[in-house]
Amino acid sequence: MKPNRNPLTAVLIAFASLWACSRVDAAETAADAAKKVGTLAKPQPTLPKDQTSNSVASAASLPLHERIDRLIEQGLETKFALPATDGEFVRRVHLDLTGMIPSADEARDFIDDPSPYKRDKLIDHLLAAPAYARRMQIVFDVMLMERRDQQKVPADQWKTYLYQSFLENKPYDQLVKEILSGDGSDPTNRGPAKFYLEREGDPYILTRDVGRLFLGRDMQCAQCHDHPLVDDYKQAHYHGLYAFFSRTYGVQPAGGAFMLGEKGEGDVTYKSVFKKKITHTTGPRVIDAAPPVEPTVVKGEEYWVAPVNGTRAIPKHSRRSLLPAALASNENPAFARNAANRLWALLLGRGLVDPVDFDHSDNPPSHPELLDLLANEFAQSHYNIKAFMREIMLTRAYQRSSEPPAEVSPADLAAERYAVANLRPLSAEQLAWSVMRAAGIVDAKRAEVERSLIGVDPRFRAIARLDPKREALAERLIESETYRSLVGNEQPFVHFFSAGAGQAQDRLAPTVHQALFLSNGDPIRYWLGPSPSWLVGRASALSDPAATADLLYLALLSRRPTGEERAAIVASLAPRTADKPKAVQEIAWAIVASSEFRYNH
Amino acid sequence: MRCTYSCGSAEHVLSRRSFLGGTAALLGGAVAGVPGFSPFALADSLEKKRKQILVVYLAGGSSQLETWDPKPKTETGGPFGAIETSVPGIMISELLPRTAKLMHLMALVRGVNTHAAAVDDHGKGDYLMHTGRAQAPGQEYPRLGAVASKFLGKETDALPGYIHIAPGHGGLGRNESAFLGPRHAPLYLGNGQAPANTLRDPAITDPADQSRQAFRCMLNDRFAKRRRSAETEAYTSTYEQAAKLMRERDVFDISKEHAADRFRYGDFDFGRHCLLARRLLEAGATYVQCVHSNYDTHNENFAFHLEQVGEFDQGFSALLEDLHVRGRLEHTLVIVMSEFGRTPHINFYQGRDHWCKAWSIALAGCGIKKGIALGKTNAKGTEVVDHEVTGGHLFHTYLNAVGLDPAGGFEVDGRPIQIAEPTATSIKELLA
Amino acid sequence: MNTAVSVDPAKIASVKEFAHSSPLMTCRFDPTGAYVLAGSQDRLVIRWNLESAAKTTFEAHESWVQALAFAPDGRTVLSGGCDGKLIWWNATDQKPKPIRSIAAHHPWVRSIAVSPDGKLAATSGTDKLVKIWSIEDGKLVHEISGHAKDVYRVLFDSKGAFLFSADLKGLVKRWEAATWKHLADLDAAKLYHYDQGQGVDFGGVRDLAISPDGALIACSGLIEASNPLGAVHTPAIVLLDGKTGKEKLLERPKEDIKGSMWSVRFHPDGFLLAGSGGGSGGLLFTFKPDQVNETYKFTLPNMLYDVDLHPDGKRIASAHYDGKLRLSAFAPVKTT
Repeated sequence: MKPNRNPLTAVLIAFASLWACSRVDAAETAADAAKKVGTLAKPQPTLPKDQTSNSVASAASLPLHERIDRLIEQGLETKFALPATDGEFVRRVHLDLTGMIPSADEARDFIDDPSPYKRDKLIDHLLAAPAYARRMQIVFDVMLMERRDQQKVPADQWKTYLYQSFLENKPYDQLVKEILSGDGSDPTNRGPAKFYLEREGDPYILTRDVGRLFLGRDMQCAQCHDHPLVDDYKQAHYHGLYAFFSRTYGVQPAGGAFMLGEKGEGDVTYKSVFKKKITHTTGPRVIDAAPPVEPTVVKGEEYWVAPVNGTRAIPKHSRRSLLPAALASNENPAFARNAANRLWALLLGRGLVDPVDFDHSDNPPSHPELLDLLANEFAQSHYNIKAFMREIMLTRAYQRSSEPPAEVSPADLAAERYAVANLRPLSAEQLAWSVMRAAGIVDAKRAEVERSLIGVDPRFRAIARLDPKREALAERLIESETYRSLVGNEQPFVHFFSAGAGQAQDRLAPTVHQALFLSNGDPIRYWLGPSPSWLVGRASALSDPAATADLLYLALLSRRPTGEERAAIVASLAPRTADKPKAVQEIAWAIVASSEFRYNH
Repeated sequence: MRCTYSCGSAEHVLSRRSFLGGTAALLGGAVAGVPGFSPFALADSLEKKRKQILVVYLAGGSSQLETWDPKPKTETGGPFGAIETSVPGIMISELLPRTAKLMHLMALVRGVNTHAAAVDDHGKGDYLMHTGRAQAPGQEYPRLGAVASKFLGKETDALPGYIHIAPGHGGLGRNESAFLGPRHAPLYLGNGQAPANTLRDPAITDPADQSRQAFRCMLNDRFAKRRRSAETEAYTSTYEQAAKLMRERDVFDISKEHAADRFRYGDFDFGRHCLLARRLLEAGATYVQCVHSNYDTHNENFAFHLEQVGEFDQGFSALLEDLHVRGRLEHTLVIVMSEFGRTPHINFYQGRDHWCKAWSIALAGCGIKKGIALGKTNAKGTEVVDHEVTGGHLFHTYLNAVGLDPAGGFEVDGRPIQIAEPTATSIKELLA
Repeated sequence: MNTAVSVDPAKIASVKEFAHSSPLMTCRFDPTGAYVLAGSQDRLVIRWNLESAAKTTFEAHESWVQALAFAPDGRTVLSGGCDGKLIWWNATDQKPKPIRSIAAHHPWVRSIAVSPDGKLAATSGTDKLVKIWSIEDGKLVHEISGHAKDVYRVLFDSKGAFLFSADLKGLVKRWEAATWKHLADLDAAKLYHYDQGQGVDFGGVRDLAISPDGALIACSGLIEASNPLGAVHTPAIVLLDGKTGKEKLLERPKEDIKGSMWSVRFHPDGFLLAGSGGGSGGLLFTFKPDQVNETYKFTLPNMLYDVDLHPDGKRIASAHYDGKLRLSAFAPVKTT
């Protein structure tokens, strides 16, 4: 593990200023966010199953999550899995909204909470916490950058931008518009431009990736001819999108940073390799939407700054600047549809359209009406990501167990039925942070951060807790500082648990290198060490072996052991009084290496 | 209307991920062999005669004139002479005296022209020679090693299917397996060292390890019993593989070889790496790539080639001879290649620059004709005048040589993808 | 040899060019000063009469000719090349024929030195060996091993007491000429570079010169080799103390010059003449033995591979990539 790189100076200064200021800054607090989340639908407990036979058509007045479930369940005689246990649920929601498993205490408290509304409460609580923004920062970084090398824009600038965006629950369309408006020329705001700049402004790569990531359409094969296997992907679509970028180029002016330049002239023409006689010309256009209006530019007067080798040209009319509005628009149905599908896939382990970047009529969604509903609702909500995710998480589909019901038919087990929860392998980051969480590293660091804050002024936390805005900000600072102190530890996991740079990062087959890393690699070995404040130390210190078993299970698997499991642990610890910490470490390792830990189930 | 043509690109595949993958492949069904291309049907005599591939990669672009296609006493020929080989009529550079004695096992390809793919660039040349395709933005195809791992390797192999021995820290980009995924990504043995994480914490005794593994299995059984098991089986099987790899960790340790062999292969990195390659191939590795660096001799080409080719000659000839003597060559395809050759013109640094219009590679072993030199360049070595071939042809030929049908494809959810560039074909004259 | 030439080390002018059709790898004036000889990539030794410019070619080598050395009699000249051969010639013959040809090194002869009494020739090669030959009968007198790399240069001191051999790693070995006993290792390793990324050894002592009084040993080569395979490096000279063998000074160009110092000579006036070829083209430098930067830099029109100083101390020959042998000359010091 990396040493704590920096004492808490930064956070202390931040707290000092917080203590001094009478008003919290304009950034949206968690309380505000929670309120906003509530605008899509009222929080309410999951509907009992017998209501699902109601007509779907008359469901418009029902909350979105109920309408979703009815579309999934309608007309099926499928046997659905039971709702996930509390242990499965608390683990699942934490992984999805904080990027790591819950602590032993959080798991125990949730399991033991008798409230019938506790699931809804937990979802709202986690959506409001800054860890949600951190989780989404990582999800969107990996999704949009696909683990490309950090060459043009420091990762921190980009990640901070994403984090802030999710903290304030920035509407998705605005987020995308900002990302697609960056050109890197403003040195104070290069974060969002990373999407373009790490792709070196290459028009072909941008065409492909904008199509895949924001439209759900991998149209690469339509570059040279209409897609041979996909009727919907026309060469015209590819080149219409390409026309936004064809004049763009990457340049690093002397003494400056890498940025985008753009020419003010040059049209896109193409021919099919199969019909070479006909040449087509296209202006910028997003699929079949009306082409954006382009101003007439007088020949010879195309530029504010004309292109010269090694400099950044600035045209009077920028085609690329037309893209954000044309793409992130209700006029372009693929935009909301792709986002809705990707967020669904994030939470359910499979897109309604699958793969998520191959949306076309011969690869129809598993639930076409549902995808339409989700896309419309998402657009109608002004692309409110939190509210949207909340609705999905309230569904029975999301909350089902991954254990199939007895005598289920193989067809009902298919991932696209959503009759049984899909197993989702933890991402590299989820895995690293979850091991750290379970091992007690995260909470120990968090406690250290809090202690040093209290060290500044012991009254602070007590007073802050009385003021929701201050409390929210305090939580934000504590989370940030804890994250800052531990981030980087996930890198070895990323090395072993990710695909190559620029490759899609989902659905990767397990490899022997991963097993070797988890078995013998330094991080796990270190984190499962017997330090008294960490898991193995604490569990070893318990005199009752059954309590040791309970703590290990709650910390690592967010559940209590079965009687059989508890007995097995008690039996295995009995002859190991002399080296109990070692014995406990062996059990902890076995749990970390188990399938139950590896998957979000 | 659906088009019936196929550009064969990966993008025509429904999903590069499930293609590969883990899940789909293990569930059966999704990935199936297309008739005529049944990589999984090699089973007969597979264990005895497993097809293997050895690639010796002369990084930076070795000079064809100082290796396989010398032009002594010409304006472009440089200072080195040509020597007789074990095959009458085939002369190679005097820098390869040991390899010359093994020419009867080899096939030279002297008409390589990769200019059409515009590959005077290291990255593009490297890509073309390893994938058989011209590089295009936004597209990545799997390297030969990943393809071999996928189709010649087996799930149960202890060794990863694609092993890459490199000088220094090793490690290239991270896209070598492209849509075939990390399972077929190279295992890098930087400087010939054993891979990371193959040693158990010495504090954990054998009994302790057994007990923790037993506990892990118990947890897995409970979990799998009540869930769809395909995904989790794929995961748990990696621990079995890991255990095997750890047990057989000595396979990476050439100190276990006789001192006489170490001397014969050469007391330098490349010699050691060749010996390691032999050890790995004998342990059943599917694909081993051994990199010798560096041939990018824009400056003092001849002095550098004198040293580098000398090392190559010693290490490579020892390895080739051993593969032959031990009966492995008939099922091991051996490829010696670079990203391109070097200019016939000698520049004013006494160097040679990048040259893709007329250069050579060497092959031996499995499926390859013996003792031939195919293709010819003109007197100054500036152009191919006979049997011109490019990277696509060579890639097809490699697949053919190890019994895979390059014109076939495999199916992903009912959609075919051709693993070798569809416009190219195998070089029949090279195939035994 | 003239001991007080009195030229101006800060003034060099071009005199004339002799043309050949293939790059010239090396050049030497004959001891009488009537001819200049060059070795070429097209396997020739070429003789030009300095006065008449008459050109005569010596044919026998099978590869590039990159080493030449005259015996003090002015008639016997030895050539060596990338064919590994050491060939004896009568330099003044009308139509020179090889007197003797010996397979001396494998594969390349890198350099030849003749003892001051004209009896012995020392050669070095890419086989890491140094060999001593009887000039009279061509017999191998002694073979010296001990270098770990390519031996670029051999040189006798002016009294013939010592032989120096210098290699790619920047190691200079001093041997007793009578017994061939190893006396000392001198360190010019600043001229050596191992490039981790490229995995190549590079640099070394490309030429050696000893001051007339024996007090200084000049090792020429290159430093700052940031890209050996791409020819990015700076020409330099390491000056060693002739007695202690310790480094006294590292001499280098004032400006940002790229190349190797292929050749170095001590001028009878006490300064150093050096020739550099590389990214910055062909250059002549003069250095004072106690100053880091050059006294003077003279730019030649083409890349050079070797430089020699005429016995008169005034004229300079340089061997070039474009096949030209260029003659330049120092201006005399004006006496008032």
